Amino acid sequence: MTYRLAPIDTSTFTAERAAAGTGTDHTVIGSAVQRSDARGHVTGRTEFFEDVAPPRLAHLKMHRSARHHARIADVDLTEALAVPRVLRILTHADIPNNLFTPLKLIGVGPDDEPVLAVDKVRYLGEPICAVVAETEAAALEGAARIKVTYEDLPPVFDVEEALKEGAPLVNEYHGQNHFRYEGHHCRRIRFGDVEEAFARADHVFEWRYQSAPIEQAPVETTGCVVVPQADGRLRIHSDTQACFFTLDNTALILETPFNKLRIVGGTVGGGFGGKVDVVVEPVACVAAMLADRPVKFVYDRAEEMQVSSPRAAERIYIKDAVMNDGRIIGRKVTLYVDAGAYSRHSPYGTTKAAAHLPGPYAIPNVWADCHCVFTNRTPSSAMRGFGVTIADFALESQMDRIARALDLDPLRLRLLNAYRDGDLKAHRKVAEGTALVEVIQKVAEMAGHELPETYRRMSSTTREGL
Amino acid sequence: MPSQIVSLVVNGEQREFIAAPGATLLASLRESLGLTAAKRGCAQGACGTCTVLVDGRPEVSCLVAVETVAGRSIRTLEGVAAGGELDEVQSAFVDCFATQCGFCTAGMIMVAEALLDRNPDPSDEDVVEAISGNVCRCTGYRPIVIAILEAARRRREQAPQEVASR
Amino acid sequence: MVICAVHVPESAEAAVDRLAGGGWVMGGGTVVMPLVNSGAAPVTELVSLRRAGLDGVEVRDGVATIGAAATFTTVGERPELAFLRPALRTIASPTICNQATVGGNLFVAQPYGDLAVCLLALDATCEIAGPDGRRDAPVAGVLASGVAAGEVVVAVRVVLPQPGTWYYHKAMRRRLNSAAIVTVASVTRADGGVVASTRIALGGVASRPVRAGSAERLLRGRPLTHEVLTEAGEAARGDIDPFDDAYASAWYRARVLPVHLRRAFLP
Repeated sequence: MTYRLAPIDTSTFTAERAAAGTGTDHTVIGSAVQRSDARGHVTGRTEFFEDVAPPRLAHLKMHRSARHHARIADVDLTEALAVPRVLRILTHADIPNNLFTPLKLIGVGPDDEPVLAVDKVRYLGEPICAVVAETEAAALEGAARIKVTYEDLPPVFDVEEALKEGAPLVNEYHGQNHFRYEGHHCRRIRFGDVEEAFARADHVFEWRYQSAPIEQAPVETTGCVVVPQADGRLRIHSDTQACFFTLDNTALILETPFNKLRIVGGTVGGGFGGKVDVVVEPVACVAAMLADRPVKFVYDRAEEMQVSSPRAAERIYIKDAVMNDGRIIGRKVTLYVDAGAYSRHSPYGTTKAAAHLPGPYAIPNVWADCHCVFTNRTPSSAMRGFGVTIADFALESQMDRIARALDLDPLRLRLLNAYRDGDLKAHRKVAEGTALVEVIQKVAEMAGHELPETYRRMSSTTREGL
Repeated sequence: MPSQIVSLVVNGEQREFIAAPGATLLASLRESLGLTAAKRGCAQGACGTCTVLVDGRPEVSCLVAVETVAGRSIRTLEGVAAGGELDEVQSAFVDCFATQCGFCTAGMIMVAEALLDRNPDPSDEDVVEAISGNVCRCTGYRPIVIAILEAARRRREQAPQEVASR
Repeated sequence: MVICAVHVPESAEAAVDRLAGGGWVMGGGTVVMPLVNSGAAPVTELVSLRRAGLDGVEVRDGVATIGAAATFTTVGERPELAFLRPALRTIASPTICNQATVGGNLFVAQPYGDLAVCLLALDATCEIAGPDGRRDAPVAGVLASGVAAGEVVVAVRVVLPQPGTWYYHKAMRRRLNSAAIVTVASVTRADGGVVASTRIALGGVASRPVRAGSAERLLRGRPLTHEVLTEAGEAARGDIDPFDDAYASAWYRARVLPVHLRRAFLP
């Protein structure tokens, strides 16, 4: 077995590499540079949030909804409060401003998610009460002994079912099962006339694509340790990917000035988008204030898998108007993002999906409706290119299927339709700095995939070969 | 039954501490002894990031009730770098970019130490099997396998010199 | 519940004495401790077998007596039990093999517990200690209905299979240590090209390891060919009661059973 110690692609940046040898500033490109955090990692000295152990640390565990959709008729804390070493149990009444969307600071509303459930639960695992105890075992036992009486409501788990007339209303803060974009029922693109394109196309292809939610599954679960300071401030050790989001949103929920909080973060044991929702810090801060001692709130593995927000499930319909030579003259996309019960970052993710359509192709007629839909599933949120990734899966699958249906080379089909500099995109932006043509040509070359001369001579900067 | 005094030999040092009933070896190392290199990733034995050596063999410390290993010899990542010098596994992890977020690293290194103690010239397949109980979500594993093979190579190259200097 | 005591008795008898007060027996902790860690253990006391002197393996006259607290690593390192090594690799990582025990594996919920599947195919005998002394029981009975309250499995006795009679195959989501989709273990002796005797145990296809009696009956007296084994695998669908989980659906498990039963014999 041969292996490369420090894999470096020496076939690129040859000029820079040569220059580096003659004493310019370009000394990094083409050389291996150690990660600045590696030594801490291999010696175990890197401090993750859970490595902080303040004296008198209390532990918070959540009692969560056992139902997908239900009214809360009663919450009985009696037995839980009797568990030895349980210090306190928080309910929604303890949270100063018991509402958030992580995007409120950029004007995305309405606030639609209680920090702790009030009179209703909207997904399995929604937090209802927070048990604070001197030991983790006591907190778990206390959480297990809380008794919640539910009045079941019909749940809805499918995006298209949720949008139908008469579907159960998931989220009353919105008043309907979709996010409203500046008065519109979805994010839309209208460019040219797709119906006219379908009418004159040689072929019309329509297929459906869908994906399941995908959990980021970081090895370090979501959590924080909050330490009350002598001056009344709270020091929050967190594994958030977004320290300032956390600071701002926590302050809004605590109804406290931002400068009363201090975040110690930046060391994240894997995030992948799953640690930007500001879910654990607000309630841990309230617990630390009320118990007047440091509090740790960290998800266990089951919580991380069940309730931390995954990549949204999506369903995408693509209908294309295609000519015999492979030119796509119209593309109609109906896309549904399953936000789960609450917004989190999904309204933004849906906008990203719309912004990504119709893919990197010059298509003169485009119509898209991108719906952000509420269902009784775990709220979904950010994960690595969310909005874009699943759309790409659908768009590129569509390209391959068209190629197969017309018996065309899939790379040539893409080269024929790839956008070039100067093309007007569906969002009325003129494309510039495009490089798809060259990327495909390079891929074909590396894969030993023969392209005819006309396709090899195509360029992103000219109309050659079109 | 009340908490008891438990004694362990940790990284060569005799350590005593008070453990509550049901405390894990992981919690004892982290909370009672302040040795936080081993991490809690799942508390279910599924991720391997809490792996330490018990009498030289790797075990996931989250599944060890500490009373059951009283008196045994425990080795953690803190005990690997002798006098602050990185050992071959650690330095190979740095050089081969086998760390990203760093959360699985302690477990990966301890498994590698145990493997190389028993098998100084492991095959690619041996390494893959050794780390098959350890989850890494960042690297895709390949840089870690490469680092462990590289560490083995460095250790084999050094071994004759060490013998000569003794 | 909150754990109030972890007992570490130094003998099997002491373990039985401790159990009289209630609580759970714990081998390597790979099944019990996850429940303890999540607060879901329904007991307040644990009795660990880690120091009860039950971790050895003795082989005499073709019979292996494996202590209940012997780890998978201990089993795998015994040359006489080397035939189990491929199975062990499919069950647990080398790290977990240092902790998981033979006795504990008898009480693991499916789709885990493939060593128990092997022991069922081997028709092992469990040595059980209890308040009234010791008794032996076939492993099939222990897998079906456990042991009485207060009893502890202290050892498992296995007649070592003749060379060339051991078969094992497991379908799973990855190549090493993963849960069973279908596990097949068998001791099968052929004589003159046809099956003289066979025991086949299946994992992953019912709430506990099961014998594929229908397949065994069909194989006796017939050659181990592709066709005969497929037929036997199809017959074995009558012996299973598969379930859905994150690894596979019940439908899928039943669908692929004949393929994997065949592959156990004809890779």
